[in-house]
Amino acid sequence: MAATAPLIDWQFQLLQTSHPAPTLVPPPPPVEPVEPGSALAQVRATLEASVAAKVRSGAELLRRAANNTERPELIPTTLEAFDALLGGGLERGKLVELVSRRATGRYSIAMSALASATSIGEAAALVDLGDGFDPRLAETNGVDLRRLLWVRPRSVKEAVMSAEMLVATGFQLVVIDLGLHPVKGRRAPDAAWVRLARSAETSRTAMLVSSPYPVTGTASEAVIKGSSGRPKWRRGLLMGLEMTLTLEKHRHRKAGTRSTLALEVLP
Amino acid sequence: MTSTRIACFYVPMFPLAARLRSEPELLSEAVAVVEGNGNAAHVVAATRRARTKGIKPGLSLAQARSILPKLIARGRDTECERTAQEALIEVAESFSPRVEDAGEGVVYIDIAGMTRHYDSELDLAKAAMRAADEVGLPARVGIAASKLAARVAAELPKSPTVVDPGSESEFLAPLPLARLTPQLDAASMLARWGLSSIGELARLPEAEVAARLGEAGRELHYAARGIDPRPLIPRPLPPDFREGMELEWPLVALEPFLYIANSALERLSKRMELQGFACKRLELTMNLDPDGFAARAIELPAPTRDVKTMLTLLRLDLEKAPPGAPVTGFSLVAHPDRPRRAQLSLFGPAALSPEKLATTIARLVALLGEDRVGMALTVDGHLPERYGIGEFAPPPPPDRRLKPEKSRGLLAMRVFRPPMPVEVLMHGEQITAVKGEGDVCGSVRSASGPWRVESDWWTEAPAARDYWDVELDGGNVYRLYQSETKEWLVDARYD
Repeated sequence: MAATAPLIDWQFQLLQTSHPAPTLVPPPPPVEPVEPGSALAQVRATLEASVAAKVRSGAELLRRAANNTERPELIPTTLEAFDALLGGGLERGKLVELVSRRATGRYSIAMSALASATSIGEAAALVDLGDGFDPRLAETNGVDLRRLLWVRPRSVKEAVMSAEMLVATGFQLVVIDLGLHPVKGRRAPDAAWVRLARSAETSRTAMLVSSPYPVTGTASEAVIKGSSGRPKWRRGLLMGLEMTLTLEKHRHRKAGTRSTLALEVLP
Repeated sequence: MTSTRIACFYVPMFPLAARLRSEPELLSEAVAVVEGNGNAAHVVAATRRARTKGIKPGLSLAQARSILPKLIARGRDTECERTAQEALIEVAESFSPRVEDAGEGVVYIDIAGMTRHYDSELDLAKAAMRAADEVGLPARVGIAASKLAARVAAELPKSPTVVDPGSESEFLAPLPLARLTPQLDAASMLARWGLSSIGELARLPEAEVAARLGEAGRELHYAARGIDPRPLIPRPLPPDFREGMELEWPLVALEPFLYIANSALERLSKRMELQGFACKRLELTMNLDPDGFAARAIELPAPTRDVKTMLTLLRLDLEKAPPGAPVTGFSLVAHPDRPRRAQLSLFGPAALSPEKLATTIARLVALLGEDRVGMALTVDGHLPERYGIGEFAPPPPPDRRLKPEKSRGLLAMRVFRPPMPVEVLMHGEQITAVKGEGDVCGSVRSASGPWRVESDWWTEAPAARDYWDVELDGGNVYRLYQSETKEWLVDARYD
């Protein structure tokens, strides 16, 4: 300590300067305050109305471009009962699981999500383990088949591997349908679902997993359970299906919320 | 007018370099490439490790082995050398379209006007050396106004060498005569004349040299003065890319073969990348032991350069139809195609990268099979299980953001492929119970039908079905039908 004390003292000694004291640069002359956009307003005033409407400042153009490039965070299925549970639709970068063993509109919700995504020009993929996709019915439901990649794996493992490839490619919506009970192939380990969810988060892909029983574990953002599917018959004809959807789990919303979804048979 | 500028790629000890390119694991070993069989086998080139132990070109294999018993000897492989030469040419073509193949690890390219893309000719030469290194060839590069001077410059150990325009004779003058042309017949005579450098030969009167050595002497004198009238003769572009090798011993198992094929595919991929191509069709030809060959072609679902995908497709093909005999050599031919490209939108939804998509589809096809990936197609007719699969090539996304169309809220159906046979109990005209696999079992709560569907009555295989919708006591609703053969089948579930 004794040795370092002089050094510290030296640090605080004022330097003997022979230079003249520094002088500050004179402040810039005051700028008259200009109202933002006033110059542009003056220019517009001199132009014809049709031309003036097309003249924009750089800031306006940037704002407009930012608004245009901002992708909505949600892909709505446009089925109000389902979207309401998730706060508006499937969130980009998140994995939502839809579970039901009975006929409770799982496939119909998946079709609606695909129809919605493809109708706005986004690329979607259906990993169809159950191999139950009917192109004609999907087209009637509004799915743009040109923007939908149909993948037909044979086991859960292949389904998860395929989905991982699709997510990494940049598909905006990937739907995995595990089909009906019993699911083909063995269950995928929890780590595979966690990895898939992380990939989806990185590439901002909305994911919907439709399964007869819960499979994604902690990887999912939300789990919706379908129950009480009630077929509606009128005069001996099947008219539709009514079911109750329950939000079983959500990381940011209160679980336990319910809604009723009614679907109609194609007339 | 732009003056002629020629760059020469030169791969020293080309037979060895080509062999090490195919077997990079031998790089740090004492390896010699030999030519000839039996007692006539002699060393053509050797690695540095072997040379430091005294192995020199010209030694017989027996002499070399007596010096270094652990010497690894490899015969000259024409397939390796041919593919290495092609790779070198493709590297050259990535710089200039005017390329001359001079054989044996020597390639000339016309670089007139190319300095606009580089700060200097030296930078260009360094870039060329790096590009050759990328394909596994340790090339040297020389740049000069004539092919001869460029070749001599490339052969110098300190590479790259750039000879300024008009100073070819000054560049050549101090070099030994052996640099001018290694296979010089008149070397001994010139040595007797007391000549040791190229400059000394250039200073002799041309007529006197021609009088003593003939026309060859006149050409030699021209060369010594840096005059090379030979123009560069560009070669036409090849239609495909080829890689392969002859194996030291026959291969029986698939895995070792795929290990070698993997490195060949990697080389192919790098070569195609240099030219901006991707592989659309892959052809494999295998030489079999003791005689014969097996050939096959693999069509890729989309142009790709992904080695993993190509290797998986190759593996699947070989597993499906093995060659049936040990493999003694192979060649892989990649038919090139332009990779898919697309202009991405600035304001609309993000489009998929066409190249990435092509690779993904190829990998999915390799994983699942050709008929299990693609765009779903509707097929004319009333039978619901019918479908088609086409190539997935999505149109570009709209250039602005759209609002999603409101869903019609239709109840979808899961189609059973193939339809599930069931037993049906009937009471009069009504179905009362269904017995099938899994959940397709129970008494019927409600049912409606039948609806007759007739299809393909104009063909030899007409279909006439009576369809029913039935709700079982579990709450599930199925669509089932009775076929012409009175068999009951469930073909869909409402879900």
